[in-house]
Amino acid sequence: MSTMNPQGERSGGKGGGRPAPGGDRGDRGDMKDDEGRGGRGFGRRKVCRYCADRNVKVDFKDQSALKYFVTERGKIIPRRISGNCAKHQRQVAKAIKQARGLALIPYLMLQG
Amino acid sequence: MADKSTGAHLLREYETVFLVKPDLTDDNVDKVKERVRGIVNRDGGKFLRFTTWGKKKTMYPVAKQPRAIYVHAHYLGGSALVSEIERNLRNFDEVSRFMSKKLGERVDPESKPVLEDVKLSGDVDDNKPLGGAERDAYRPYDGGDEGGFEDNSFEN
Repeated sequence: MSTMNPQGERSGGKGGGRPAPGGDRGDRGDMKDDEGRGGRGFGRRKVCRYCADRNVKVDFKDQSALKYFVTERGKIIPRRISGNCAKHQRQVAKAIKQARGLALIPYLMLQG
Repeated sequence: MADKSTGAHLLREYETVFLVKPDLTDDNVDKVKERVRGIVNRDGGKFLRFTTWGKKKTMYPVAKQPRAIYVHAHYLGGSALVSEIERNLRNFDEVSRFMSKKLGERVDPESKPVLEDVKLSGDVDDNKPLGGAERDAYRPYDGGDEGGFEDNSFEN
């Protein structure tokens, strides 16, 4: 025996289960902090460490400084992640390539 | 214009880092250094300082060797001098790799004193490929400022 689907009785409503426009968009709490950044992103603003300290120069011989701009695999970290300004990112990228030529920094670090 | 009249004999400032094969004795390394120094003095340059970083582990094999002796030369001269040094380094069997870089333009040779050569110990511990803390503490051309990178807080 076939019985009436209970959903059929509720189908008179417009739009089914869709929320009404302007209705509840979920409880996101207080978003005032993110308003300036399009409601996205959290964390602090990154600063170019070579701009922060004018005394420090980009130096291809300084392995300990350059390793902060290289991944574990040996790839150059983009400036959107490292926080470098464009000028210093160019200098850092060049210094890394020069250090690689002298085997101070690896071209590629194989893992596993 | 006034600069030109006062600075009659201005040179460029260069540095060259070259890698020497690790099985060489100190005497043989010194011979290579003296030959480079001789070229600079012969060709109208001014040699400032040699810094021997010592035997270090390279990040990849260079000339089929896992280590190399790094030597850093700091000098003043013209562009022809650099190409002459590089031509000679290419001919030295002991030298496996080199790189030159310009540090400054229009440098007065009188303003740069000749410094004593420095010899550093290099990587003593094989498990420390990024070592060279001693070299990190030392800056050959920082202009005398404090200038240390904030992260060179290794012991030593």
